Amino acid sequence: MNIYFHELKAYKNSTLIWTFSLIALVILFMSMFPSISRDVEVFKELMEGFPEAVRKALGLEIESFGTILGFYSYIFLYVTLFGAIQAMNIGTSIISKEVRDKTADFLLTKPVSRSKILTSKLMAALTTLIFTNVVYVVAASVIVSQVKTEAYSMKIFLMITLTLFFVQLIFLALGIIISVIVPKIKSVLTVSLGTVFTFYIIGLLTSTTGDESKRYLSPFQYFDTGYIIKNSSFETSFLLVGVGIVSVSLVTSYIIYTKKDIQAV
Amino acid sequence: MNVIEINNLTKTYGNARGITDLSFHVEEGEIFGFIGPNGAGKSTTIRTILSLIYPTGGSAKIFGKDCIDFAPEIAKEIGYLPSEVFYYDNMKVIDLLKYSASFYKKDCKKRMNELVEIMDLDITKKIDDLSLGNKKKVGIVQGLLHEPKLIILDEPTSGLDPLMQQRFFDLLLEENKKGATILFSSHILSEVQRLCDRVAIIKEGKIVTVEKISNLKENNYKKIKIETRNAVDRDYFNITGVNDLTFKDSTISFLFRGDINTVLKKIAEVDITNLWIEEPDLEEIFMHYYEKED
Amino acid sequence: MNIFLNELKAHRKSLIIWCIGIIFFVVSDMAKYAGLSTSGQSLNELLAGMPKSLQAIMGTGNFDLSTAIGYFGMLTIYLYLMATVHAAMLGANIISKEERDKTAEFLFVKPVSRSKIIFPKLLAALVNIVIFNIITWVSSFYMVKIFSKGESVSSDIASIMAAIFILQILFLVIGSAIAAVSKNPKRAVSISTGILLITYILSIVIDLNENIEYMKYLSPFKYFESKNVMFGGGLDPVFVVLSLVMIGVLTMGTFVFYNKRDLNL
Repeated sequence: MNIYFHELKAYKNSTLIWTFSLIALVILFMSMFPSISRDVEVFKELMEGFPEAVRKALGLEIESFGTILGFYSYIFLYVTLFGAIQAMNIGTSIISKEVRDKTADFLLTKPVSRSKILTSKLMAALTTLIFTNVVYVVAASVIVSQVKTEAYSMKIFLMITLTLFFVQLIFLALGIIISVIVPKIKSVLTVSLGTVFTFYIIGLLTSTTGDESKRYLSPFQYFDTGYIIKNSSFETSFLLVGVGIVSVSLVTSYIIYTKKDIQAV
Repeated sequence: MNVIEINNLTKTYGNARGITDLSFHVEEGEIFGFIGPNGAGKSTTIRTILSLIYPTGGSAKIFGKDCIDFAPEIAKEIGYLPSEVFYYDNMKVIDLLKYSASFYKKDCKKRMNELVEIMDLDITKKIDDLSLGNKKKVGIVQGLLHEPKLIILDEPTSGLDPLMQQRFFDLLLEENKKGATILFSSHILSEVQRLCDRVAIIKEGKIVTVEKISNLKENNYKKIKIETRNAVDRDYFNITGVNDLTFKDSTISFLFRGDINTVLKKIAEVDITNLWIEEPDLEEIFMHYYEKED
Repeated sequence: MNIFLNELKAHRKSLIIWCIGIIFFVVSDMAKYAGLSTSGQSLNELLAGMPKSLQAIMGTGNFDLSTAIGYFGMLTIYLYLMATVHAAMLGANIISKEERDKTAEFLFVKPVSRSKIIFPKLLAALVNIVIFNIITWVSSFYMVKIFSKGESVSSDIASIMAAIFILQILFLVIGSAIAAVSKNPKRAVSISTGILLITYILSIVIDLNENIEYMKYLSPFKYFESKNVMFGGGLDPVFVVLSLVMIGVLTMGTFVFYNKRDLNL
């Protein structure tokens, strides 16, 4: 437990900043919804005359922007992008900060097994992510209920919002495995921004091709908000791949970390 | 009982560095010196028995238990002080000490306060603001606050002023008297000579010899220095058993091993003004070990 | 000269990775255009009728997506982002890394003044962003050329690259100035990237909400928007001057503050 609390304390400030940023982001964008929904009404009429293929090419279907959940889905892309960076930062620093700050010798000569150290750190990371998500979901549901123009399904809203946590878990796990494999990470931010943006761009590139199999390439594509809105469920295959990535990364991280040499500074 | 038992321990890295086929043991209650020049493999050995790195061959036991398989259990009774100490920069000294203590399932508060007192440490400061020497003191306190049965020190004295060094050594001797076994790695011989009962000499990843300090010194070596009235032929003392023969002005000095009579007879034939016969210090013997090996 | 070369070498690997990333992005994104161009004409009409806020959401602006260069215009925002993220991180890093890696004690006791250390560092950073820019230029030019139907594209791309270059230098010195002021070198990179993301989000918000148009001076991403720069628009002199002034001030700031600051050892 001592490692767990130590870690929580270490993440306190950055967690608060991230959580606050996510909330600021959602409030900022959602407050623009009323004016946007009016724009959409106007545009909708114009769009009726165009074929489905054209609308598809634009990515999301325009008319969905007129609905509160549709617009929320759009801004949610940015929320997940930020959330992914947060999670990746934590994941990457979990192990690498001990190496970088040269505190590994201190921690690893204490009477705790390495897997216990990793577990405590992982739990602390999960706690901060859960904190972020809970606070975010409260703030987001308040702002959404304030700006809504019509009734919406709370269940679907929560499901969409829950995918933030899923994406964060995936990037947390990726961060951990990277920090376990790479001997010395000088700048966590470089690594996490690089990884997150790479997947984000891959996601952008694959989103409009309509090729389902390519969606597996980027975690940002695993939870299609359009699908969730339509079916009020997640896509099982992508959910499974997500779970797979997380478990494989974590198991591998445990194995590598318990067998790894901790080099002198 | 052997507190540390190292059997054919080998650690190879991709390139040359590492240790090969290392074997020695440390008995309960002794202060064991581990000595060799930089890069000889001292830290590699210590990091292996602390299970920070894993051996490529052989094994090591601490308290009779395999140091890899039982690492967390063994660590309860180990205090470790590395040569360079690094701690969480944004913590206060007291927070770090408490954090360190929280790993051991016993009350370390009393001992911690004693140690802070002895080492004269300001516990309200942030670690980041401490000087190198003061960080070292934090390291000493955090390494000893749980009253470990085995204390492992990897070149611990760097950064400590002589006064603190003395207090630190006194502290170690006190711990030793209370029953703690100490493994002390160093490249400074005088330290080892001052503290240790036995010493292992390591060179290029291999143990050269394990000796009692007293044995090493008694190894029949005598350090002889004479001052002569007249110049002496340089080859005069070049007899078997003489080493490190040097001439400086009217002073001749050398190390001698063998029948002391032969050399005394030689000296008696020269007109001398002064004579010293001393036990050589470890340094001189040690250099000698290395030269012999080359 | 030794510092300059040393810095070039130190950043070589990361520059190569970035360049590969940018080439990958340009190539794969323009390749996507090939799949899109068939339905281009009707798409274009649709976009023309789209309200500004929706154009902003879609990221399409008012580009003629039926032409390769128009499609390229739509994706330039990602080039802006990648180039500026690279520059901001580089600027912050190149100054702060000596303290982070504890090499400051090595470097700053050498018989050179601090200014003479910063100058070659910034120069090396400049070389890095020039290379980055050239790579972006060449890859964009060839990819657009492949898909264009004979129309001239070189001048449009040249103006975009000029715009990107100004933003790169701007964010480079924003990063270096922050690193020069910041007492905690570990934070310099995070703060610089944070500022970059905030100004980017601000630019989206301005797009969505015309009432706050006047805030465009606060977001460099609004200075040279590709839809204004391309198609003969060129760089707005007001913003060129503004950028140059900011670059000048921040560069001076970097020198002045770094010369006066206590090093964090």
